[in-house]
Amino acid sequence: MRFSRITALLGIAFAASATSAIAADPIAIGISIAQSPPGSVVQGTQVKDAVEIVKDMVNAKGGVLGRQIKLIYEDNQGIPEKGRAATEKLITKDKVVAIAGGHQSSVCLAEIEVAHRYNTPYINTNCWSDDVRKKGYAEVFNPANYNTRVSEAMTNTIIAMGVKSVVAFAENTDYGIGQAKITGEMMKARAPGVSYKYETVDRAGKDFTPAILPLRANPPDMVVTIMLPPAAYIVMNQLYEQGVAPSAKTWLYDGSGLADYPDFWQNVKDAGKYMISFALYHPQMAIPKLGQDVSAEYKKRTNNEPNRLIFQSADSLLLIVDAIKTAKSTDPKAIVKALQTMKFAGVRGPFQFGKEQGYGFQQWVDIPFVNYQLTDVNQPISKTNLIQGPGQKLDVNKLVKPAK
Amino acid sequence: MLALDLLVNGLIFGLFYALMAVGLAMIFGVLKVVNFAHGEFYMIGGYAYVLISLKLGIPPWIALGLAALAGAGLGWLVERLLMRPLYAGHGSWSITKDEYAVVVTFGLSLLLINLVDKIVGPYPFLGPVLIETSRFTIGPVMLNGQKLIAAGVSLCLLIGLALFIKRSLWGRQIQAVAQNRLGASLAGIDATKTTSMVFMISGLLAALSGALLAPLINPGPDVGAFPAIKSYVIVVLGGMGSIWGGMAAALFLGVFEAFFAVYVSYAYRDAFGLLILILVLLIRPQGMFGEKGREV
Repeated sequence: MRFSRITALLGIAFAASATSAIAADPIAIGISIAQSPPGSVVQGTQVKDAVEIVKDMVNAKGGVLGRQIKLIYEDNQGIPEKGRAATEKLITKDKVVAIAGGHQSSVCLAEIEVAHRYNTPYINTNCWSDDVRKKGYAEVFNPANYNTRVSEAMTNTIIAMGVKSVVAFAENTDYGIGQAKITGEMMKARAPGVSYKYETVDRAGKDFTPAILPLRANPPDMVVTIMLPPAAYIVMNQLYEQGVAPSAKTWLYDGSGLADYPDFWQNVKDAGKYMISFALYHPQMAIPKLGQDVSAEYKKRTNNEPNRLIFQSADSLLLIVDAIKTAKSTDPKAIVKALQTMKFAGVRGPFQFGKEQGYGFQQWVDIPFVNYQLTDVNQPISKTNLIQGPGQKLDVNKLVKPAK
Repeated sequence: MLALDLLVNGLIFGLFYALMAVGLAMIFGVLKVVNFAHGEFYMIGGYAYVLISLKLGIPPWIALGLAALAGAGLGWLVERLLMRPLYAGHGSWSITKDEYAVVVTFGLSLLLINLVDKIVGPYPFLGPVLIETSRFTIGPVMLNGQKLIAAGVSLCLLIGLALFIKRSLWGRQIQAVAQNRLGASLAGIDATKTTSMVFMISGLLAALSGALLAPLINPGPDVGAFPAIKSYVIVVLGGMGSIWGGMAAALFLGVFEAFFAVYVSYAYRDAFGLLILILVLLIRPQGMFGEKGREV
């Protein structure tokens, strides 16, 4: 009798300790980013910095459903096959409940196939290609910007400026070619009188002079860049060196939000002055308290000003956290369902995902953007010439052209 | 006028290509192995120049010299620690373990890229210019001062290298080892020392190339991949191991790529170089200036 009572007590104690161990098990979330070349390590680093801040903030407040969050990183090197393998590993071996971090369209396109196959929620942090949305996968959610949004904004600006000829340099990726094509289609439909053509350039290229030299003889009214660093910086420097753009004749318009990269001015110097830029963040944008906290922490940890990628990455992880809270479960299917229906209040303000098939599927369709011009070397974003922004209609008359 | 512009820019880039490629050609000439980490010598040169001048505040011309020394030092170290097992223990004239060279240089390439990425960071840096000049025109050609200076220094280095190889005792020793390692050893030439010197020269030239181009091509950890691929094309095109062939092929490739990009297709410009490579391998495998190998 006594023996069986002791056994029962031991059994209860063991069960209790096992339950508390399970309760304390952290929730694993996968982050697939480029941490080594040839991928954009600059972007990968920023994504990591931001999700680390959010993870620490969430865990400091007790985590989710009483459990801490654990981030498991995989280096996809910006290579689609590696991204596919990384996603497979995160889902099958690490048992993550969701994946975030994707920041290069070609990689995202490969990764979402795996996430879709395993019904695992996938938060697209920074892949702009419309094709990521057009797949119509229920597991894929897009708090990031998208190509159609940029092309629309740029087309409006180009038409308002009254330019007659545009040459775009687009990197040879799903993102670059996709955006160049959509802009071309929009220009054709809405401004058929404007000559628009694009040149595809290698994102690993170092000498773009042969593509630039013909523009010297026959300069267009505007050169558009749809490229990421470092190739974007090299193109800008060579455009400037050859006197093509920015110049008295030719505007330079960046469609990839380059100017808020931490290394922008160090790499372009005079070539960046007078550039017009489409961007997703400007200090004049209304940022909620949560966003301000993330911003302050990012400045404290890195000594850099935050940019749109920091906010997008923070929102990506917060979306997963909120979805788990809403679903009261870490079951991937329940998380997907919560993401589809919940109203989210993130670091950039409140939004809900669109339901219409196409580029707006499970996308923050009305993602806010700005257009501004850099009027001086080393100019901080807060001091730029804002030509379109929150609560401010497009005003191209504010644009300044160089004297020569 | 566009044609003149293309010719000048093509020649300038050809000079940069040549500076990279001759080092690779020299290593192949002496050891008959391809150094897959050659692009990373270029990257180290670019980073050394930028960091020494920007972070330590040392004048750019001195930083250029120090970057060259860093490249030479790395070359010496690589030869001493990684390449010497190729022939150590097999007699100073015998070269074996070809597969070892491929694996070890490829591994070294990945190691250096990732080391720089983790230690210095992923952000590219634009190097300081050697002389402050704004862009200017010479006739119909528009240039910036840095590009012209980099081209001038490259030309001087290539001429200097040519004279060194042709006229100096060390240069003749390099030629001898490249022609016949066993014969050179029997004639009293220290093939090991010569190999070490070749690696130092190769590292020095690649690093200088990286440093000279740092103000034009923002170096990042993977900046070496592009010039390295060009160098492989040039080395095959010019004849494996032929320094003169390498120089001529570099100028040829620089100019023809520029014209091809404008008059045929910019998108396929790099493919054009590889197409030439395939054609050369099919039609004249020894390259433009190489000699047919003879089995003995």
